[in-house]
Amino acid sequence: MSVYPDDRAIQALKRYDQAEVYVSETVVRTVYIDGSRISNVETKVDSGMMFRMTDGGRTGKSSVSLNSEGAVQDCLDMAESVLSRSPEAKSLNGYAIPASPRIPAPDVWDRRVEDASAEDLRELARQVIDNCRVDIPRAQIRVSCTESRTVNGNGVDVGHRSTLVYGHFTSMARLEHPGEGMETYHGTGLDLDPVAIAESLSRKAEAAAGCREYKGSEKLSMILPPSELGDMLLSAVGSAVNGENRKYGRSRWAGSLGEKVASDSLTVVDDPSVRAPLSCVYDDEGTPAERKPVIEGGVLKGFLNDTFCGGSTGNGMRRSSVEPQGAYDRTPTIKPLNLVVKPGSMPLDRIIENTDSGILVEKFAWPEADELTGRFGLNVRCGYVVRKGEVVGTVNNALLMGNMLDAVANIEMIGNDPVQTGVVTTPTMSFSGTELVGN
Amino acid sequence: MQSAVLVKAEDSQDVLHKAVGRMSDLGAEFADAKSQTIRNVGISSMNGELRQLVRKSTGGVCLRAWMNGRWGYGTATSFDPAAVMRAAEDAVRNASGDGRPGMELEPSAVRRHERAHVRIHPDSVGIDEKISAVLELDSAQGVDPKVVNRMGAYSEEIKDNLLVNSAGSDLGWEEVRTLCRAMSVAADGGRMEQYYGGPDSTLGFEVVKDSDLELIGRTTAEEAVKTLSAERAPSGQMTVISDPMVSGLLAHEAMGHASEGDEITKRRSFLTGAVGRRVASEAITMYDNGTVPGAHGSVPFDDEGTPSGCTKIIDKGVYTGYMHSLETAARLGCRPTGNGRAENFGKRTWVRMTNTYFGPGDWEKDDLVADTRRGILCDKMVNGMEDPVGGCFEAKCLRGFLIENGEVTRMVRSFTLTGKSVEILSSADALTREVVLDGGMCGKGIEDWVRVSSGGPYMRARMIVGGGQ
Repeated sequence: MSVYPDDRAIQALKRYDQAEVYVSETVVRTVYIDGSRISNVETKVDSGMMFRMTDGGRTGKSSVSLNSEGAVQDCLDMAESVLSRSPEAKSLNGYAIPASPRIPAPDVWDRRVEDASAEDLRELARQVIDNCRVDIPRAQIRVSCTESRTVNGNGVDVGHRSTLVYGHFTSMARLEHPGEGMETYHGTGLDLDPVAIAESLSRKAEAAAGCREYKGSEKLSMILPPSELGDMLLSAVGSAVNGENRKYGRSRWAGSLGEKVASDSLTVVDDPSVRAPLSCVYDDEGTPAERKPVIEGGVLKGFLNDTFCGGSTGNGMRRSSVEPQGAYDRTPTIKPLNLVVKPGSMPLDRIIENTDSGILVEKFAWPEADELTGRFGLNVRCGYVVRKGEVVGTVNNALLMGNMLDAVANIEMIGNDPVQTGVVTTPTMSFSGTELVGN
Repeated sequence: MQSAVLVKAEDSQDVLHKAVGRMSDLGAEFADAKSQTIRNVGISSMNGELRQLVRKSTGGVCLRAWMNGRWGYGTATSFDPAAVMRAAEDAVRNASGDGRPGMELEPSAVRRHERAHVRIHPDSVGIDEKISAVLELDSAQGVDPKVVNRMGAYSEEIKDNLLVNSAGSDLGWEEVRTLCRAMSVAADGGRMEQYYGGPDSTLGFEVVKDSDLELIGRTTAEEAVKTLSAERAPSGQMTVISDPMVSGLLAHEAMGHASEGDEITKRRSFLTGAVGRRVASEAITMYDNGTVPGAHGSVPFDDEGTPSGCTKIIDKGVYTGYMHSLETAARLGCRPTGNGRAENFGKRTWVRMTNTYFGPGDWEKDDLVADTRRGILCDKMVNGMEDPVGGCFEAKCLRGFLIENGEVTRMVRSFTLTGKSVEILSSADALTREVVLDGGMCGKGIEDWVRVSSGGPYMRARMIVGGGQ
């Protein structure tokens, strides 16, 4: 590893009861598509450090970007100034302690990303544009290489390096009432297939253009593909199993460990051992990451923790699965590293065949559930209406309402088509008990 | 990893001039160079104990070269002259290749250096006083055992910007933003609800000094507890009176994003070609105005050095114009409007809103409620989502109240509003006198967060309501 904290920061670790320095360096290349043509190309270099410590019950913390000779000392001085004015905390858990790895190193570094030039990215973007039947009003392909290191006064000294590839594409049919499609690629390797993305963008834009405004209201089943379900599960289930939310009474599942919280068919693990954007051997505090059962057969098996909450499960993260810059600027918070939902056996067409009345959502305005309550009321931009096992039309401009924490207890079917989108890998699932409202 | 660099942001003006010269020498038709230092203090508490206490300082340079109708960017978190020159060369290299020659930008040539207009600069206030403010916000929430989670927060951001361009601009300006907030979570049995409150601005520590922190904290907690007994909101199309926050969300999401010049040049907006067309009732006038004193989205210059301005987007129901960056103004043959903004030196500059709001009407709030037979009155927003292609929007409200026979009756919990923007604004028939702005962050589509505000008066219109379960 080439990224290592400055000696002054290493020396400063010895001056406090507990202290930690984290450094990260990132190189990012981005190509943008605007109006079906390549517009901006960017090259960015970003590096910085965070120093935090506890001493006599007080805490200090500071971060800087490493942009000048004085930056390291500035960071140490600022942290000290904060510590000196900090009130004493009643309870402080220590930082990570040295420990052996608990999983084999995941394959999260792709040499092709490291070698990708601006021209390579332009060519990739050009292929998406050339293969798309519809317009691409806005898109970007971003590749990055990040190296980081966590060193603390307890003897932890661990590094991490990973590549990240993020592609976000929108599409629009060339019609008077166009409708919009969207496609996202989100992984660690340069495996983005421009032809497949172009085809998906074309299909989605054409489907959206054919939507009719939904009228009326009804109770029906909600069928969510991985592209929409991933973020819904992350916001609702990810928050409910977050140890800090449990600690502060903000999790609806706070008192439900070992109890049934979901349908028997739902099993979820947090698995950082496989290739995914946040997979790692050690988290960003230096605690070993591990494969953790979260929900097993519908029973809540565990919460995710960092050192702040105590009993860290190796989920204290500074890095983002989407934004490669500025990891040093973020205080560690609890994040799932890679939530994996156990797939079922049903292909999507069988799920549709077995649905009496439902909506298969191709695109929400933005898929998310309320992190506190699990509630959602989401604008359906494009949805397929299912009646007696068949798709009978596409609709938009409707609100689909429900509660995701209730929905996971009302699972009807689980598909056999898992897809990894960011830090969630899930198949298509259908749920009962939701309501659709239109004009 | 740390090179021996000796230049700090405040000394980088000369380096920026040289970088602009270098990009011009390498063939850039236009070039600009911006350095930025961002200093933050963040303090938060949870249930009476400090959760966060942090000082941050980030900084770097962004170099842009315009060639053949497109931008190349080079960015570095270093003020070292050699690193800046490398970034300048990256920018020119990134701009090269196929393009659309012959499109000339219209950059400003302004020479001005100014500090932020604040009464109490946050730098002049000790951290003890800021911690005390947070703990006061927190402790004031301890009014009911049902409040299971109390949070107080204070944050300040001081941005020092230097910008030089090949048109002759030499600018330096400071932006100061201060925010304090209380948030309560109340629980009863299996039910949980939250409420929040607190001011934000481009002002200094006077935002805290002038606030009644005890009242903010106590009210936040009491309202969270009251929300526990709220009913599920009704669903369907109905009359809605949006509060200033939700009116602002409608302005921002329903019409604001669709009025950003880049959405027009790409024909991604339902408002493409709409200038002169009626898009709302006569009661509606809408602005994007980066010059509102003290508002969270105000800036003296945008991130391209264009002086901030006020764009009238809708005038008495008739659509009047778009917001522009240098690039979109050139593409559409218009003047830049001071809306070329970036989250920071490391992010893309494109068309973004500043303070976006509906102008006032002539109703009083009580009269408006009394005049409404059946409807729903919104109280605070959660978030929203734009749909410039489809002309719709999504706005999530924290809670509301039913209006029955001209009276506010029962409280309802969180719900979502949607509908077609033009239809909704065409149904708007009554707005109140007072316009209030509320600060927040805007991510255009998926990321790139800039500080904005949005607002308006209370506004009555018809839209689709969906009550979450």
